[in-house]
Amino acid sequence: MGRLTPIDTTYFKDERAGDFTVIGSAVQRSDARGHVTGRTLFFEDLTPPGLTHVKIHRSTRHHARIDRVDVSGALEVPGVLRVITHEDVPNNWYVVLRLIGVGPDDEPVLAEDRVLYRGEPIVAVVAETEEAAREGAARVVVDYTDLPAVLDVEAALADGAPIIKQAGTNHFVYEGHPCRRIRFGDVERGFAEADRIIEGRYSSSPIEHAPVEPTGCIVVPQGDGRLRIHSNTQAAFFTLDNTALILGVPPTSLRVVGGTVGGGFGGKVDVIVEPLACLAAMLTGRPAKYVYSRAEEMQVSSTRAAEHIHIKDGVMDDGRIVARQVTLYVDAGAYSRHSPYGTTKAAAHMPGPYTIPNVHVDCYCVYTNRTPSSAMRGFGVTIGDFALESHMDHVARELGMDPLRLRLKNAYRDGDMKAHRKIASGTALVEVIQSAADLVGHDLPPEYRAMSSAERPEG
Amino acid sequence: MPSTIVTLKLNGTERELIARPSTTLLSALRDTFGLTGAKRGCAQGGCGSCTVLLDGRPAVSCLIPVVTVDGCAVETVEGLADGDRLDDVQQAFVDHFATQCGFCTPGMIMSATALLNREPAPTRQDVTEAICGNVCRCTGYEPIVTAVLSAAESRRDGAAEGRHDSAAERRHDGAGERHRDAAAPLSGKAAG
Amino acid sequence: MLISVEMPDSAEAAHASLQAGAVPLGGGTHLLTRMNDEAGPDLRVVSLRKAGLRGIDVDGDTVTLGAATTLADLEDDPRLGYLAGCVRSIASPPVRTLATVAGNLFVPQPYGDLAAALLALDAELDVLGTAGLRRERLERVVADGLPEGELVTRIRFTAPAPGTFRFHKASRRRLNSGSIVTVAARLTVEDGLVGDVRLVLGGLSRRLLRAAGAERVLRGAPLTAEVVAEAAGADVIEPFDDAYASAWYRARVYPVHLRRALLGA
Ligand SMILES: Cc1cc2nc3c(=O)[nH]c(=O)nc-3n(C[C@H](O)[C@H](O)[C@H](O)COP(=O)(O)OP(=O)(O)OC[C@H]3O[C@@H](n4cnc5c(N)ncnc54)[C@H](O)[C@@H]3O)c2cc1C
Ligand code: FES
Ligand code: FES
Repeated sequence: MGRLTPIDTTYFKDERAGDFTVIGSAVQRSDARGHVTGRTLFFEDLTPPGLTHVKIHRSTRHHARIDRVDVSGALEVPGVLRVITHEDVPNNWYVVLRLIGVGPDDEPVLAEDRVLYRGEPIVAVVAETEEAAREGAARVVVDYTDLPAVLDVEAALADGAPIIKQAGTNHFVYEGHPCRRIRFGDVERGFAEADRIIEGRYSSSPIEHAPVEPTGCIVVPQGDGRLRIHSNTQAAFFTLDNTALILGVPPTSLRVVGGTVGGGFGGKVDVIVEPLACLAAMLTGRPAKYVYSRAEEMQVSSTRAAEHIHIKDGVMDDGRIVARQVTLYVDAGAYSRHSPYGTTKAAAHMPGPYTIPNVHVDCYCVYTNRTPSSAMRGFGVTIGDFALESHMDHVARELGMDPLRLRLKNAYRDGDMKAHRKIASGTALVEVIQSAADLVGHDLPPEYRAMSSAERPEG
Repeated sequence: MPSTIVTLKLNGTERELIARPSTTLLSALRDTFGLTGAKRGCAQGGCGSCTVLLDGRPAVSCLIPVVTVDGCAVETVEGLADGDRLDDVQQAFVDHFATQCGFCTPGMIMSATALLNREPAPTRQDVTEAICGNVCRCTGYEPIVTAVLSAAESRRDGAAEGRHDSAAERRHDGAGERHRDAAAPLSGKAAG
Repeated sequence: MLISVEMPDSAEAAHASLQAGAVPLGGGTHLLTRMNDEAGPDLRVVSLRKAGLRGIDVDGDTVTLGAATTLADLEDDPRLGYLAGCVRSIASPPVRTLATVAGNLFVPQPYGDLAAALLALDAELDVLGTAGLRRERLERVVADGLPEGELVTRIRFTAPAPGTFRFHKASRRRLNSGSIVTVAARLTVEDGLVGDVRLVLGGLSRRLLRAAGAERVLRGAPLTAEVVAEAAGADVIEPFDDAYASAWYRARVYPVHLRRALLGA
């Protein structure tokens, strides 16, 4: 079977000289037969004998002190085997990114004296059946004292905002700084020299991945004392190491069986279900399953972060952008998860694929009392691109200029120094825009046609 | 209420199970019979990943207490292939890249199968209506619609050549039975 | 949790079982969604699947639907073509195989699209209660509900004359999506003026709403955009927020959809 759209090789002929037999042809997926026959094994397709079920009692408050937790009602439900509270978790505090040196540990596996978002896990109930576990979880009683909630990134950083994090700030700290910063040239001088200043504010809402297969795992105790974790994690080794650290066991005592993910899109890189399912298996000596209901998947699984982005450009009348200042707020929600890293990615992505001599970027990773956000397809970058490209269109409109020409004029070229001081290479934006213009019949004057990523026009 | 014995005509074979009142058809298939093709994506009737054929009609198995379908014919994705030979819908899904993560695929294929059993020459609109209860977050649906239309075509070609597919015939029978049932006049004393 | 499922083989047996505190189970496409996800008190149900309540009778103008007739059955019946648009706007094929007509009368808004249509057709119910079988107007049952232990066995209505029935449902997606606004109407137009009219709204209140104010405005008036716009302002609506739309949005777009339902554009 041929390709629907042939690959356009005009621009990079020389680089495609290799004797490729696979690239450009349609190759059958190795897993397709399993999928269409129903034989592909997803984690939940396993039913080990003696399987127990884990359900969670969750916070009903955005931000509250926990005054009392009463689990006696849960223990009375026939079929309930155990309740698990934070006291049962050997190392209750963690942050998944500690494996690459990010800290501090800011999230409890189970809430201790406070909850920071609605849906935060407080008590896990292990039972013979799913119904009993669900009933048990519903019978847990928690007394709260509500605390003021912060639900917006800019409100969280405002003077006098209630501090919701134990580390003492409502933002992640990057090497002593409140934000991830990029300084390149002198943005104020750029603004002073510019013909015009054009500003824009952009914002996005959280986005749920909504994989058709909910996040979950089944943990099976082995004869040799190890735990075998059947998981749909997208990050098997993050899961293995973080779970071992939380349980206080050597990583060699766990084995993750994964690789088959019923839709992830970044939503299955957090380490949420495995530690509690492992604990349930350890405490009962039986296999344990912890899988989100659809409602949990929608409410408590991480989302793509909501962002606020302010862009201020210094622009010359001919369309050259000479200064760009970006202030970006990532709503991490209540806990870090992967957001400190996503925010760094956002910073590195600025000012977009354009060569601008003066750049000033502040990217804040902000904590609020919302569902924690984390990775999602191109996280840190996607919403930034939405803002950058919306702003490019805005600038073009303000100047009365063709938006493609504006981009061609400012597009980065091979050899340019980027704002975060890496030399651009393999750039192809100019050619992509030229091709796109051809495809939609958009007229470009000869000097724009003649542009190339390989060289920068004079002036 | 104690558990009861339920009989299903499962992929053409009579099978029995002992079911609690709360046991759904989906959990009976998956946990008792090990037929894990039907998936649980929501348990809310909303995603279609648990779709099977019930007396020839597509049905979300997560919303059916299995004791209520005692005696019914149930077909699952596992019943489609003939040994290693995929049926035409399955083959079209493979050929047209209509499966990515694969989680929606068995339910999607059962909805498509139900459509083709009733409507051998569906339009694009028929296909989108038939699969509107099956959520796919990976493919964007286009390749699935293409696959179903192409399966319809190859099935028509096959029929024109007089090729016989016993599995397909069985499914046609199921649909026929259901139709007779529905068309039956109202009965019972309460008709007044 | 579901602790018992009875499978009576007649309406009388089903009614008898309900007296012990069980609830009727039609297709379960509403009840089971709750059982599957929510903790709660034990529930006993009486399945109507084998109670002889499934079937469609058309006798002259009179249409009688068994309570346990499925939405798929309605879809398949060419005699009920005027209901096809309504039925196909409800959920999806694998849900409609199970969902029953009577079940649709008792689901919370914004569901109940078929009920809206049946209410516009002024349907009447056969209800089996302790005093035996009685007839009830659907309108009364929609307003007050049904006492515990009672069972709907039949739904009866007069088939609308060709061209007199309108159904329009606004939803987030074209298919398989709960209602933002549902408009069901039976109306006749004679010499350019509206004659008889019954207008029912879904999505605009916690219960289906008979738009009596709009009916008054329309009756005897020409069917024009101005009249329909006035009709849209003539009832007290109490829309709600849900995952499909906000109350604000529902109120805002109701006039548009009333216009589309009655004028087609
Ligand atoms: C994914 C999904 C999408 C949906 N979309 C729509 C939609 O777009 N529009 C819409 O209208 N609905 C929708 N629904 C709701 C539901 O499927 C339908 O309303 C359906 O008709 C309910 O019928 P049922 O037989 O399945 O109800 P059940 O769940 O069996 O019963 C519902 C209620 O009716 C009572 N009941 C049932 N039969 C009788 C009887 N004979 N006498 C007295 N009480 C009775 C039950 O006790 C229960 O309280 C959707 C459901 C799902 C799962
Ligand atoms: S699991 Fe049955 S419809 Fe989603
Ligand atoms: S292939 Fe992943 S959901 Fe459809």
